[in-house]
Amino acid sequence: MHRMSRRSMLASSVGLAAAGALSRPYIANAAATTATVWQVQGFFPEEDEAFRKVVADYEKLSGNKIDYSIMPFMALNQKAVSALTSGDVPDLVFHDAPDTILPQFAWNDTLMDVTDVVETQKSKLSQTALDASNYYNGAKKARGFYLCPVKQACVPFHIWGDLVEKAGFKLSDAPKTWDAYWDFFKQLQKPLRDKGMRKVYSLGLQVTTVGPNDGNNLFVGFMLANGFSNIVSSDGKLHTDDPAMREAAIKSITWMAAAYNGGYVPQEALSWNDADDNNGFHEKLFVMDFDGTLSTELAMFKDKKVYMEDMVTMGLPAGNDGKPIPAQVGAGGGFIPKGAKNFEVAKDYMKYFMQPEVMNANLKQGLGRWVPSIPQLMKDDAFWLDPSDPHRPVYVREMLGPTIPIYNAYNPAYGQVQAEQLWMQSVADIIKNGMTAQAAVDKAFRRAEAIFTKFTFG
Amino acid sequence: MSTTTQESLAVGRPFVPSLPRTHRAWHGGLLGSEFAWAIAFAVPYALLFCAFVIYPVAYGLWLGSSPALYTELFSDPRFLTAVVNTCLYVGIGVNLKMVLAFLLSGFFMRKRWWVKSLLVIYILPWAVPALPAFMSIHWMLNGQWGFLNSALWMLFGIDGPTWLNSHWLGMGANIASYIWKNMPFWTVIFIAGRMAIPQELYEAADMDGATGLRRFRHVTFPLMAQLYLVSTLLSTIWSLGDFNAVFFVSGGGPAMSTEVLATLGIRYAFTIGDPRLGVACVMCALPLLIPIVVLLMHKMRKQEVQL
Repeated sequence: MHRMSRRSMLASSVGLAAAGALSRPYIANAAATTATVWQVQGFFPEEDEAFRKVVADYEKLSGNKIDYSIMPFMALNQKAVSALTSGDVPDLVFHDAPDTILPQFAWNDTLMDVTDVVETQKSKLSQTALDASNYYNGAKKARGFYLCPVKQACVPFHIWGDLVEKAGFKLSDAPKTWDAYWDFFKQLQKPLRDKGMRKVYSLGLQVTTVGPNDGNNLFVGFMLANGFSNIVSSDGKLHTDDPAMREAAIKSITWMAAAYNGGYVPQEALSWNDADDNNGFHEKLFVMDFDGTLSTELAMFKDKKVYMEDMVTMGLPAGNDGKPIPAQVGAGGGFIPKGAKNFEVAKDYMKYFMQPEVMNANLKQGLGRWVPSIPQLMKDDAFWLDPSDPHRPVYVREMLGPTIPIYNAYNPAYGQVQAEQLWMQSVADIIKNGMTAQAAVDKAFRRAEAIFTKFTFG
Repeated sequence: MSTTTQESLAVGRPFVPSLPRTHRAWHGGLLGSEFAWAIAFAVPYALLFCAFVIYPVAYGLWLGSSPALYTELFSDPRFLTAVVNTCLYVGIGVNLKMVLAFLLSGFFMRKRWWVKSLLVIYILPWAVPALPAFMSIHWMLNGQWGFLNSALWMLFGIDGPTWLNSHWLGMGANIASYIWKNMPFWTVIFIAGRMAIPQELYEAADMDGATGLRRFRHVTFPLMAQLYLVSTLLSTIWSLGDFNAVFFVSGGGPAMSTEVLATLGIRYAFTIGDPRLGVACVMCALPLLIPIVVLLMHKMRKQEVQL
């Protein structure tokens, strides 16, 4: 047997290292038609399966390869931020709700303009999908499309219909204007507790400052119901100087704080994280809440009695002035970091994904938790308005009604306002710190204004 | 023939001519192929150290180097709250944990079989993964359907408080969770330290009539003091950057009143999408961290103990 000497071992090691270095060009060439994709994990396995099918079909059709990683929402946020900071980026990030980080990326000129991809379906996309994909680039001093929108979602009401009946009421009796609608559910609490549901509450009001989005969505819902929709206008300006905004904000947080202090909201709601309100709903901790997408219902999809009979989804009531409230809608889809090596494949993949038939099939397979960014699909495909499903048609009708885009699209500063949970912080200031609503709103406005001064448009 | 040469030949070792002292110092006393082998084995470690320690630290320092970041930090009221919370979390958490660990280490030195069995159970919190453990605590503390309040109601008919709805209860929950998770580790360290104390010292103390508290004061404590101090300093360094307990137990709530520097830094970096601000937030712990590290290095030097 050959006896290995130290000299021969050193020589072998050096040889191996040299072989690895010399062989690298072959490996690099083999990756020329492979795109690295980071995909957000769905709430249900069906969503991930739907994504894998799109990838498999694309690979078969194009001959390109998609090297994907599926990861949870927060992990994807962290990875995306880290990647764009370090410059070691994937070719595509596919995100359900990128509005918390996308505006800043676009502002800092760290994303690739994808106007050419969006143009392929632009005439079919909803205006809110277009608005929610169009961001201001602080370096170029111009707007552009930085997101390839595939999916959208709105915020409906989720209600335990069986608890409403148990309390001796009918949902059909619920008033049709915002504050009165919420007040209707307050009267359910006492009869339910008298019937042994010791810890049930009427309202799952997400007055949380832990985040990420529920409290922000709630605040906007109340503002729209109180007649103010112009928190941030399309030119990126914050309108805290508008007396109407101040008045609407005071009304909104006063109502929320009063509901909490009145004992209609679980005390824990101040500290809810993203899953706590969903868990609370499934535990029948409260009768109703106002929460994005149909994930609340779809989590109980396999329990047919609960899904088909006990749970109810309702759309938006009218505002306090009796006028219809628009639904605030973001968009989910793919964005391409600057410096992506295989951006051509990434763009080609997104062009494929945005095709109506592919988009529609993908979202249908994902149980319809998200709706297509192309409104006509929801009208043409019977799946979306199928009356045999008690939840999806309500949700889709809200999407097909009046909508406004998220304010983050207008100015990335609003993303930071949301990240700092300023609005629910103002509710907490009333509840925990004894502030008046006026003082709490003024404090939130001052902080928002300070954040907005960091982003000046050219 | 020189004495050195004669000695080398006498023991059958090859003669190596004497080298200058500086050369010997740089080569660690190694010569020829032995030095080459030493370098060959050290280089991979050095490269990994540079790649995974030096580079990330330097990059982090560069990311957080702009003075404008600190201006922005100090203008955020949550930052000052986080600083105070961090001081409380570390000050109370570390000291309480170490005192309890030290006392329990004495208990677990007993030779009874049930004490040994209890030690196995006691170590479990440290052994289980942190995230599911802290998330379970978060759910246990839920005011409505959590285990703790449900048990209080079932056993005593008491409606427990909303544990995570109060700044002080939230801080208390975070600190208690932190202590629960980490105390077993330090208890084991102190047990090992106690086991290293020669039994003869205790026997001599017994002969002198020193028992109980006097034995602890005159034998155990002086011999354990160095270990206790070094462990406390090390635990302080680790705890300054602790994230898991606060993030998963209270979530920084209510109303961000229990945020610490680590959780606030993560919020800046990944929720707001400003990693430079996040790094700057965490780097604000450096003025406290560096003196502790220096003190720790000083204390790590071997010292004699005078009983």
